Amino acid sequence: MLTALIAMMLLAGSPADTLAPAIAVAGKTEMRVTGMVSGIKADELRQYGINNPKGVAAIVPGLHLPDYGASLTSSIYVRGLGSRMENPVIGLYIDDFPVLDKNSYDLDYLDVESIRFLHGPQGTAYGRNSLAGVLSIRTAAHKGLRAALEYGSRHHALAQVSGGYGNHSFSAAYRHSSGFFPNTHTGKMCDPYDGGQLRWRWEKAFDDLTLGNLLQAGVSSEGGFAYGAWKDGEVQPVNYNDEGSYRRITVLEGFKARLRKENIVLDLMTSAQILADDMRMDQDYSPQSVFTLQQRQLSGAQTFEALLRPARRFSHWKPVTGFFGFFKACGMDAPVLFKRDGIEKLILDNANGGIPDDIGYLEIPDASFPVDSRFSILSWNAALYHESVFPVGRWTFTAGLRIDYEGAWMGYDCFAALHYRMVPFMASPKPFEDTYTGDLFHGGLQILPKLAVQFAPSGKWLLSASVAKGYRAGGFNTQIFSDILQNRMMNGLMADLGVYFDRPTVSAVADNTEYQPEELWNFEAGFGYHGENFRADATAFYANAVNQQITVFPPGMTTGRMMTNAGRSRSYGVELQASYENAGFMGRASWGWNDARFTEFNDGQADYSGNSIPYSPSHTLFVSAGYSGNRFEVEAHVRGIGPIAWNEANTLEEPFYVTLGADARVRFGRFQVYLRGENLTGTRFRTFYFKSMGNEFFQVSKPAVFTLGVQVSIL
Amino acid sequence: MKNRLSVLFIAVLALVSCHKTPQPHEIPPQDLYIGTVSVDYEGGVVDNPDIKVAFLPSEDGRRADIIIYKIKFVPKMPVRIDVTIPAVAVEKESEGVSFSCNNVVPLALGGEYPKYNVTSLSGTLKGSSLSFSLNFGEYPTRFKGTRAR
Repeated sequence: MLTALIAMMLLAGSPADTLAPAIAVAGKTEMRVTGMVSGIKADELRQYGINNPKGVAAIVPGLHLPDYGASLTSSIYVRGLGSRMENPVIGLYIDDFPVLDKNSYDLDYLDVESIRFLHGPQGTAYGRNSLAGVLSIRTAAHKGLRAALEYGSRHHALAQVSGGYGNHSFSAAYRHSSGFFPNTHTGKMCDPYDGGQLRWRWEKAFDDLTLGNLLQAGVSSEGGFAYGAWKDGEVQPVNYNDEGSYRRITVLEGFKARLRKENIVLDLMTSAQILADDMRMDQDYSPQSVFTLQQRQLSGAQTFEALLRPARRFSHWKPVTGFFGFFKACGMDAPVLFKRDGIEKLILDNANGGIPDDIGYLEIPDASFPVDSRFSILSWNAALYHESVFPVGRWTFTAGLRIDYEGAWMGYDCFAALHYRMVPFMASPKPFEDTYTGDLFHGGLQILPKLAVQFAPSGKWLLSASVAKGYRAGGFNTQIFSDILQNRMMNGLMADLGVYFDRPTVSAVADNTEYQPEELWNFEAGFGYHGENFRADATAFYANAVNQQITVFPPGMTTGRMMTNAGRSRSYGVELQASYENAGFMGRASWGWNDARFTEFNDGQADYSGNSIPYSPSHTLFVSAGYSGNRFEVEAHVRGIGPIAWNEANTLEEPFYVTLGADARVRFGRFQVYLRGENLTGTRFRTFYFKSMGNEFFQVSKPAVFTLGVQVSIL
Repeated sequence: MKNRLSVLFIAVLALVSCHKTPQPHEIPPQDLYIGTVSVDYEGGVVDNPDIKVAFLPSEDGRRADIIIYKIKFVPKMPVRIDVTIPAVAVEKESEGVSFSCNNVVPLALGGEYPKYNVTSLSGTLKGSSLSFSLNFGEYPTRFKGTRAR
């Protein structure tokens, strides 16, 4: 590390690090947005220590991305919307290319020029999964060559190099962390991380044609799932015996072209996306050998989008018409292994609990048995959309409509095998196996309208109001199939024995593992003041969700959860943001508040209508202040989140908590040396809650983290 | 001495296996019957309606397995079980068949179930009606049903 730092200093010369001009091939980012937009620039990302989407929480008012689990755990909550599992409530775009798989959302930021968050449903322009907003990341195109190295708490290390020449620019980064949470059972850290990323961009302009390409690839290997049991009002240390890990390879190759003719401007964007990952999880999070899950998937997707607009700018009509489509294929293997303690606790205790002692008892002599589930999933989407903007004096009217079709097919092939013996009647164990195969299909049309009006009383003030619809795609509950098979095994095994319990043996079946799209109507009004040094935006919203996708406990299940369209909810609230920049002084403040409640929700065990929607904070707060001089820069910020209801019954809550972060950096010549601290007060709060086998678990926050780094412009 | 013991053993087997003098007769069909199983219990009678009983004759028609599905002998029994009474001797009569056996260990829960040892089983199959009585262990039990459609 030290050698590398010295080498970089020797290579240093005069400051020459520059950003290339903004991406020549723009696309959707040029579309007019009605409503609030939160922007975070590259400098701010650096100061706030943001290197992945989770760091954006609260800076964007109302946005919460809890930091727990592993990189595949990209739970997103906005305005009371969101869920732990399955499809997200916001869309993620990198240079206008949609990231289709939520498992790829949590990527390390690599040379990001800016982040924009478009508040509220963006269904008309962005379609699926943008019912609460869109996070749009714009990558930087560097010229010259620069490098950065940093080292910090828990052996955090980051090495990054980026540069550009001619029409090409590239970035590469490697990050390591030894982890924050020890596993007391193994004596090792349970969340180490090693990952690298590469990016290459190319752009070239011809007479009436501009082409651009983005290739981004990442590979990571990490631990995770630092979940500790909740006992006697305290979160216990992480203590489980089986492997918890996540490995991932992602590739995004995007190509875009802009053709400008006399009458039209045509933007074409296409991307190929590959995700290969492997998750291993101790599902009971205890030192006992109960059951484990491995989930491996390989998916590939192709997206295509075309935007057509007139080259001539009409004074009273600015139309944009677009087509979007994608096709995605995914193969997934998700074996659950029931181990000895799990066989005893989850199966035999359950079965023998209903058999009187004087009759006998069931025995499964296997040390473990697999419940293997394989899935082939195809999904596709085609959408046609149009937005027309009508400027009339100080008024601007926008009308948009999207016709969006999405379909999906899933083939499932599940298998389980074990041996059993009814004591004392059977002399020796008898093999028993079950297979469960079939396929499912669903598809549907969504009509997503949008109406908006803006009024600009002056060049600095802007008032706006809008009504829009968004939707979150439906899907299949793949994770429930191991529970279905477990139930089938037990029922089949008892029927094989000729034993029938009086209690109901209902359980989920494949046909009811589908869930339909969630739909949201959003009504919003706000204002903006965009002065020279001071900018402020405020918006108030009322959202009504139907067919809400909610995690429920299916009938007859012992361990499973599944997503279903069980409820309705409503949310209203306010989001504010303000920033100030003058004579080197910088300030920024964001606040989001919402009251989000179920208006109709029965999970099969209780009615939670009227209760707050869990996992989503009522408040988000971010306040930052800093000064940037010729040679130095200081910044400090506080971030507040909460309160958060941890369950549907609202009996467990995380109070509002605040963390403190700061950044100081000194510039000399080509160098910039910085010291950054996060959660400086070591505030301990809980980031995630769940129940497994009747036990409660939490993940707690990371402790105070310090990072020392150096950046150098080499060429 | 050895020979005498063998003869005695065969005689006992003959007594407990319900085997009667073979007579040529036509094979009754394999069928499923639905009816009520009544069990004498603690001075009263417990009726189990809608119980299915399979009558499964052997190939030569001289024996039959009787399977009683999902039977609960006493109310406090927390599970229902399938019980098979194997190798019941079948005899042709002028109208249908009669069957009987004594001291047979039924099959249940994957093996022999001596707790509900079957004694004094006798019954008839006439037309579409099946009826029999027996003792399941200490519980006098009766079934009367008709062929399932």
